[in-house]
Amino acid sequence: MIPHGWELLALGAIVGLDLVSFPQIMLARPIVAGSVAGLLLGDVGAGLRIGVLFELFQYDILPVGATRYPEYGPATVIAVGAVHTFALPFGIGLATVVGLFTAMIGGMSLQVLRRLNTRAVTAAAPALERGDVRVLYRLHFAGAGRDLARAALVTAFGLGLVALTRAFVVPALSHRGERLLSVAATGAALAAGAAGTIRLVGLGTHLKWLAAGLVGGIVVAWLI
Amino acid sequence: MADLKARPRLLASLLRLFTVQASWNYERLIGVGTGVAAEPLLRDLDPERYRAALGRASRYFNAHPYLSGAGAGALARAEIDGVPAEQIERLRGALAGPLGSIGDRLVWAGWLPTLSALTLAAVTWRGGFAAVALFLIVYNVGHVALRWWALRAGWTYGPRVAQALHEPWMRRAGQYLGPATALALGFALPMVAQWSGDAFRGWARITLAVAAAVAFGLLRWRPDILSGLRLGLVLVVIALVAGVIWR
Repeated sequence: MIPHGWELLALGAIVGLDLVSFPQIMLARPIVAGSVAGLLLGDVGAGLRIGVLFELFQYDILPVGATRYPEYGPATVIAVGAVHTFALPFGIGLATVVGLFTAMIGGMSLQVLRRLNTRAVTAAAPALERGDVRVLYRLHFAGAGRDLARAALVTAFGLGLVALTRAFVVPALSHRGERLLSVAATGAALAAGAAGTIRLVGLGTHLKWLAAGLVGGIVVAWLI
Repeated sequence: MADLKARPRLLASLLRLFTVQASWNYERLIGVGTGVAAEPLLRDLDPERYRAALGRASRYFNAHPYLSGAGAGALARAEIDGVPAEQIERLRGALAGPLGSIGDRLVWAGWLPTLSALTLAAVTWRGGFAAVALFLIVYNVGHVALRWWALRAGWTYGPRVAQALHEPWMRRAGQYLGPATALALGFALPMVAQWSGDAFRGWARITLAVAAAVAFGLLRWRPDILSGLRLGLVLVVIALVAGVIWR
């Protein structure tokens, strides 16, 4: 059993619902999901560390229209739960492995959800055209219900992965391996964050502002 | 008087707009959600016109979720004003593109990454949970204000809602958000890099710098096949195998 498993499941479901269906107030943002999960587990520091890491991965995607993207909200919740469960000095790396797999499954589940919604809408098209308000409500709020169930399933999958990793991988991993894994996870996150930033800002007129920000950030990072 | 009557319905519509993407699907995109949001605004119509209007309101529609209220409001206003059905269909088609691209530029590529970057910088600067809480508050003040403005604009302007999209504040927001986003992201990245690297010493720190640089190069070199997630998975799985072997 994962410590605080039910609370993490509930949080993952809420965070997953927030991403697209309701209310889109950015609970699904990794920095938010991670720190709330940390608060829940009594370890805000770990929540923030994982939150920052997955927020960098999030920079790699721009959720425009029907684009396919990984779902980092529940994944961040799972990764924070994993850090807490593994209780390793460099548990952040192994937690990121679990979190990234959960994010991938989360992204796939969004495609399934969209297909299920499409099937439901196609079946109800004549009633929608007639302006049947009850069918309209049922269809719409069933979509939200499906999304909530989807997010809960994704989080449950992640919790299962945490349990399996604790049972089979944690005992096999050396201390050096732990550190190497943390280095790889952090390096990948920094690269994803930087590449996403360049893609968002572009190489045009805003590049000078990015450069100015970089200089300022380097100076402040050096001073503190 | 008419405005007093419309206000509770606009509020009902606003609340429903928070769920506008709940039934997102490949056939009508956010059309069903737009129909649900527009429904309270159509209640003054007689039953026959109400059903016909609701049927039209839930057809294919796409917009940025925060600006979808402009579409819901404008389409509902057009129905109330008795605009011919063909003209309403044209309005729906004409609104989808601009409401999507303006919202993406203002929110997904502007307001959100700017605040996110400032939050990351604040967290690394001992901001802690307070920085995250502040992010949620500030972001959502802008978020809810934008949703309310869009709905009001749609309802007020009706078929002429495109005028609202050219209001000076919107042009200025677009002008300033681009540089602000670049500045904030540029500022946050070195701070996050240093904060993340602080956990490592010796060989681990050097490996981190090399891994990040190589991974960044790969992501820039082949963005068509490599994403942050894919590269991250490949790197951590390689490290995991090495970590089990390397004792």
